[in-house]
Amino acid sequence: MLKHDILIAEKISKHYQMGEVTVKALENASFKFSKGDFVVILGPSGSGKSTLLNIIGGMDLPTSGKVYLRDEEITKFSEKKLTEYRRDKVGFVFQFYNIMANLTARENVELAVEICKNSLDIDKVMDEVGLSERKDHFPSQLSGGEQQRVAIARAVAKNPEILLCDEPTGALDYSTGVSILSLLKKVNKEFNMTVVVITHNAAIAEIGDKVIKMRSGEIVDIWTNESPVNPERIEW
Amino acid sequence: MKKLDKRLWGLIKSTKGQFFAISVVVAIGLMIFVSMGSAESNLQSALKDYYQLTNFSDLYVQVVKIPEKDISKIQSKYHFSDIEGRIVSEVPMITEDENERVTVRVTSVSDEDRVNRLYYIEGSPIQDKNHDVILVQQFAEARDIHIGDPIRLQINGRQYKMIVKGIAASAEYIYLIESAQNMLPNESKFGVAYVSKEFAQRSFGLSGSANEVIIKLNSNQDPENMKDVLKDDFENFGLKRIITQENQLSNRMMSEELAQLKNISGSIPILFLSIAGIVLVMMVSRMVKKDRISIGVMKALGYSASQIILHYTKYALSAGALGVFLGSLLGTVVAGAMTEMYIEFFNLPLLKINFYPQYVFWSIAFAGVFCGVSGIWGAKEILKIMPAESMRPEAPKAGKRIFLENFKFFWNHLSFSWKMVIKNAFRNKKRMVFVLFGVSLTCSMMVATISLVSSTLSLFDKHFTEFQKMDYNINFSTPLNEDVVKEIPHLVETQRVEPKIEFPFEVSNGLKKEIVNVIGINRDTEFYSFKDMDEKITRVSEEGILITENLAKALKVNKGAHIKIHSFIPGREDIYLRVENVIKQGLGMNAYMALDSMGNELMESQLVTGAYVDSKDPDIVKKLINADHIATIQSSQDMLNIFQEFMGLTIMSIGFIVVMAGILGFSIVYNATVISIGEREMEFSSMRVLGFSKNEIFSMILRESIVITIFGILIGIPVGRLMGSAMGNMYSNEIYTMEIIADTRSYLLACFFTILFITLSQLATYRKIRKLNFLQALKNRVS
Repeated sequence: MLKHDILIAEKISKHYQMGEVTVKALENASFKFSKGDFVVILGPSGSGKSTLLNIIGGMDLPTSGKVYLRDEEITKFSEKKLTEYRRDKVGFVFQFYNIMANLTARENVELAVEICKNSLDIDKVMDEVGLSERKDHFPSQLSGGEQQRVAIARAVAKNPEILLCDEPTGALDYSTGVSILSLLKKVNKEFNMTVVVITHNAAIAEIGDKVIKMRSGEIVDIWTNESPVNPERIEW
Repeated sequence: MKKLDKRLWGLIKSTKGQFFAISVVVAIGLMIFVSMGSAESNLQSALKDYYQLTNFSDLYVQVVKIPEKDISKIQSKYHFSDIEGRIVSEVPMITEDENERVTVRVTSVSDEDRVNRLYYIEGSPIQDKNHDVILVQQFAEARDIHIGDPIRLQINGRQYKMIVKGIAASAEYIYLIESAQNMLPNESKFGVAYVSKEFAQRSFGLSGSANEVIIKLNSNQDPENMKDVLKDDFENFGLKRIITQENQLSNRMMSEELAQLKNISGSIPILFLSIAGIVLVMMVSRMVKKDRISIGVMKALGYSASQIILHYTKYALSAGALGVFLGSLLGTVVAGAMTEMYIEFFNLPLLKINFYPQYVFWSIAFAGVFCGVSGIWGAKEILKIMPAESMRPEAPKAGKRIFLENFKFFWNHLSFSWKMVIKNAFRNKKRMVFVLFGVSLTCSMMVATISLVSSTLSLFDKHFTEFQKMDYNINFSTPLNEDVVKEIPHLVETQRVEPKIEFPFEVSNGLKKEIVNVIGINRDTEFYSFKDMDEKITRVSEEGILITENLAKALKVNKGAHIKIHSFIPGREDIYLRVENVIKQGLGMNAYMALDSMGNELMESQLVTGAYVDSKDPDIVKKLINADHIATIQSSQDMLNIFQEFMGLTIMSIGFIVVMAGILGFSIVYNATVISIGEREMEFSSMRVLGFSKNEIFSMILRESIVITIFGILIGIPVGRLMGSAMGNMYSNEIYTMEIIADTRSYLLACFFTILFITLSQLATYRKIRKLNFLQALKNRVS
């Protein structure tokens, strides 16, 4: 493994049994992420991108193949180790935010930080995501974009090796979506954090350093953008 | 099967734990209804038929002596349905073990045997009037006495050898106890022997007379009214007391048992069904919320709101149906077992196990109403669901600060995880209040039951060890000069002997009257320890009278009041005495005076009716039984021993209520927790993704339950105390005064059992957390 490679996937496949039919959700996917990469995984519904994210995120195990984070093979982890991996190494941002309705924005971040070893300063992170004025608000008092910022702050404050974002703009309008992508770019740069964004929106691919294109469970293309576009300049 | 019904089956299968838990609550409620109701019907109908068959007396008039011709005169004056004079007197029975104390109530029966007719189990009525005796069934069975066996009775210092001619049951002794103070039967030590009138009159020296008159009233004669009217008629015959059927000891016990069955079968099932109903509302409304998209799809497909509401109501009705099935089945079995127990416990020959289909029909109706209404109520949100709207993600629920956050000092000192726990506990206030109610109800039922039983135990223990401390209570056959008491130490080895007078008087305050035994004791008695209502020690004094708490209540008098004492001894004037103090006494209703004052003012000076003795002499009974002036010897230890024999039964009944209350608490907390987990599936899934382990999430839920359990217990303890006191008051009567003493052990036991059942319910929910599919949950947009 090269020094700057943070995550390596080797020929990972995931097959489901649906009655008598075997569904090949993912087939022989191999790729590498480096420290500080902004990766976009692009593909239509059913292309296997969420399956890929679940495996990288330690939420699911592949049928075959190996995934390494630095020099540890996560595909060999026990359930306990996988929980620790999710706790300390990975941050998640969901399409529908999934933040706790009865906790304030700050408390939602505190919830994640409480169990981490090397967390960041909560107030600093809240400032960075632009929520310093809204941290004592409850989710119901926040807009969709603000709720997604809370979700990002919650993931970032854990100080993970990789930030995984599943359709982070999927539930947002265009301008809010752009602002969220800008925020993710900012996090990527300022915290030197590897960010992986899953999307079906081809326009978003332009902002990634690296793009993995998927179709029907297979990686059909991987390319590197020499000059990624600023999120404010993309349109969909 | 219709597709919706197939879906219903799927719903039941996917919530089988909750479905079964709720069915069990319905089943327990209905089991209590069917079993107690059927047992009550069995008892009630058998009792009614038995009283009719034996022409059970309405009034018992106890006198010193009344000639038969005067009984006829009274009959010609009032034209009762029936009247009979008889002789009733307690005598010792001589057994092979000379130290055994066996008391037999000798009761004369006339040839006609019109009132309180005997119900012959074996043998035949008296033929040889000088030797034949009929024994009450319980006593004969307990002592293994058969037809033809001889028994020896000691009457007025003379032994009579009698032959058992028949074994019979009597409506007067369905519950065979010697006196109100006994409370529990001791069938081998106390029995009833029926002899011919002629034999009784001769042996007791009451030729041509009786000492008790039993009366069957006409339907237009009111017992209470007649009781007052007859006082004047019997005054001249040394009236001791008139007891109505209502207060006849055995009937009173039966009535209380019936009333208790009626109370329980009428209230507890409603409580269980109400709780089941509330849980069903919670469950169904949660299902509707979870199935929002499916309901939207069904509506889009053309199903009407009422069809879908019916679909979810069927879920509630199915839980009710399973409850009815289990409840009726178990109820019928338990009713049989209870009736069997009553057959063992009571001597009611006509008592049979009958099946009463009406209780099952009522069960169906109750469960139908409670579960049906709950189902409709829980599913009513269906009316608001619009197909298009249902497909959109829900807006986040409004978050609010909780009340405790205002207490900054407290709140800021809590760790974040405890803040979360408390916030979550307060998240759904209605549900929290319901769970709190469930836990406190469980705890209070346990506190009330355990403290009631522990109080009953201490009632006996205190009465026979702290309140009255004599080893033996000896009654003379007639009042004698107190010098007789001085002879006792010459007959047996004694540590202490004190004379006593015990005689019935009518005590009254205005219109409030009670006939009680007034007891005269030495002023420096060591055998009684009186405590007033403030727990202060008090004694009998030269003047005035001490009365028990229940007598004070019955007469509506307090310390310092003057009460009238009416003597039944002919020629005695009524006197007024000052109530020197009101004292606590667990068993019985009495009044106490200084021996000399009582002798002077109410009886004859220097006359006594018995003695209290402390003696370690193992042969005391053998030595005293032959003394011709001694009628009965009661041992305090015997009384305590009988009570301890009943401990097993008591523990079983506590166990039953503890399990009932526990199941109720389990079901409420289990269902509420499962609903809460269901609602927070996405939240827990997010937490799993954030790196929380299953155990950490479970521990959070557990801590939420612990917080509610602690508050539930804190509320449950005082509520249980109040419930216990209310139950104590309900059970207190002339016979015993229940003072609820909830000791630390009762509280600890109640808390232990509450925590045990709540812990079990939490462990049962752990599986839900283990099985949580967080990947699936995260795909959902409906929480």
